[in-house]
Amino acid sequence: MHHLRDKTAIVGVGATPQGKLPGSTPLTLAVEAFKRALDDAGLRKDQIDGLMTMAGTTSPEGPLNYLRVGEALGIDPRFTGTFNMGGGTAGALLQQAALAVNAGMANYVACVFGDSAATGGYKFDKAAGFGDSWGIWGFMAAAGNSAITASRHMALYGTTSSQLGEIAVTCRYHASLNPNAIMRTPITIADHQASRWIVEPLHLLDCYLISDGGVCVIVTTPERAQDLKHPLVLISGMGQAYTTRNMDNEDWWYVPHQRLAINDAYAMAGVGPKDIDVAQLYDNFTSSVLLWFEHGGFCKVGESGSFVEGGRIRLGGELPINTAGGNHSESYMEGWLHIVEGVRQMRGECGPRQVRGAEVCLVTGRGRELNCANANILRKG
Amino acid sequence: MTEYLKPLPTLKEDNRPFWAAAREGRISMQACKSCCHVRFPISHVCPRCLSYDFEWRTLSGRGQIFSYIVYHQVYHQAFKQDVPYNVALVQLEEGPRMYSNIVGVANDVPKVGDAVEAVFEAVTAEVTLPRFRLLAS
Repeated sequence: MHHLRDKTAIVGVGATPQGKLPGSTPLTLAVEAFKRALDDAGLRKDQIDGLMTMAGTTSPEGPLNYLRVGEALGIDPRFTGTFNMGGGTAGALLQQAALAVNAGMANYVACVFGDSAATGGYKFDKAAGFGDSWGIWGFMAAAGNSAITASRHMALYGTTSSQLGEIAVTCRYHASLNPNAIMRTPITIADHQASRWIVEPLHLLDCYLISDGGVCVIVTTPERAQDLKHPLVLISGMGQAYTTRNMDNEDWWYVPHQRLAINDAYAMAGVGPKDIDVAQLYDNFTSSVLLWFEHGGFCKVGESGSFVEGGRIRLGGELPINTAGGNHSESYMEGWLHIVEGVRQMRGECGPRQVRGAEVCLVTGRGRELNCANANILRKG
Repeated sequence: MTEYLKPLPTLKEDNRPFWAAAREGRISMQACKSCCHVRFPISHVCPRCLSYDFEWRTLSGRGQIFSYIVYHQVYHQAFKQDVPYNVALVQLEEGPRMYSNIVGVANDVPKVGDAVEAVFEAVTAEVTLPRFRLLAS
C-alpha cells in the first residue's frame, strides 16, 4: 500500500461570493477566502505554518504572490511558494501541501487563491507559445487550444457539438441547485446550439465564466484533523503529469499526461474508475471534460461523446460530475472550487445536489496550453 | 500599404533564417546534426538529444491538416476585420507541426486530414508569412 494513501486531511474550505465583485482585488478575495477556511476548520491563524498560493491574473506582484498574501495575513510560514500552472495550480498546490505535512515541514498548510479577472478586465487573450508567438497567424486565447482538441476529436471519432452541449446542460442543471453559483437558469441543448461561436467548434456555452472570487483549502495530517469539527475528508490518492511540448509531442492535443496523472492517483488510493462515486472534472471548456472520461478509464478512447449522453453524468446518473456547476456555471476559479465541492460532497453537506452515499470523489485539474494535469482522489474518512 | 497591426515576429539571430527563407518562398527549419530530428519551434538545442549542432533545412512545404478551427471572437483588435478566420495546425511531411491559416477557400471547406502545401504572403517589407492552400485531391 502506498505510504501516502489517506495520510492527508482537508480540514477547512472557504470560498467568497463569486461573480463581478466591484472594489475587490485578488488580495482582498484571497484574504477573505482564508478567513472563511480558517473558520470552517475551527483553527486559529497562528496554527497555519504553511502557505501555498496562486497569483490572480490581475495580481500585480505575480510570482511574489506568496510574500504579498503572507504579509497581508500576518503569517511567517515554515513552508511557502507560488505556483503558476493555470487551472492545474489548485490541485498541484494541494499535493505540495500534502507532501509538506507528511514530511513534517509544516503542520497546517493553507492553499490560497484570489482573482478579480472579471472586474479587473483580464481577457485570457494571450497568444500561446514562447518566442515567435502563434498570434502571428491569429492563434490565441485559451479557447484556441481547446478548440484544436475538440476539432480533432470530432474528426477522428465523430464527436458532436450536441454531445459537448450535454456537458454544458448538465453543469448548468447542477448549478441551479447551488445557491452560490453565478449562472443558475437551466439551459437546453437547443440553447447551447444557438449560442454564438467563440472559436469553432466551441460555442459560447462551451466556455468558462470569467469571474471574481477567492478560495482557500487547508490541509493537515489525519491525526491532527481528529480534533477538528467536520467529518474527516482524506486525500486518498494524488497524481500529476505534464507535457511541455505543445508542438513536438504528437499527442499533445489528446493530453495523454492526464491519463498518467489519474493512474498515479488511482494507484496511490488503491481504486479504479468503478470506485468513483462523483467527479469534479476540470472544465475550462466542455471539450476538456470529454478527455477526462477517456483518460480516467470511464469509457474507451474516442467514446466519450456518447458516454456523456442519456443522463449518465447528471445527479442520479452513473457518474455525476461537477455537482456545483463547475467552471461554466458555478464560477471560473480555475479549478479551486472543484476541490471545495469535492470536500463538501465527502462531508455530505451538499443538500439537494448531494450524491447519496458518495464516499470517493475524483477531482482533476489542468492548466496552461493543456500542459499541466493532476488528479486527487478524496475519500470520506 | 496600410500599416500592418497584427502580431509580427521579432527578428533575431536565432529566427532570421526561418523568416529569410519565407521571403524566398521556402519553409526552412532546424535539423539536428546529431539525431536528425527536425524541430519547430526554433530552439538553440535539440529537445530530443540536447545537441547544439544543427543545420537549416528546406522542407517540402507539404503536409496535412492535423486540426482546424475558426475564430469568431475578436481577441486582438487587428483581427476584427478578419473574423471569422481560420487557424490550422499543420502536420508537415518532415515531422514538425506549425499553426498557420488555410487560404483560397471558404472556412467550411478545409477538413482534418486534407493535404496542403505552403504559399507565401508578404505582409510587411521584412515579414512574409507561410500559409497553406488545399492540394487538389
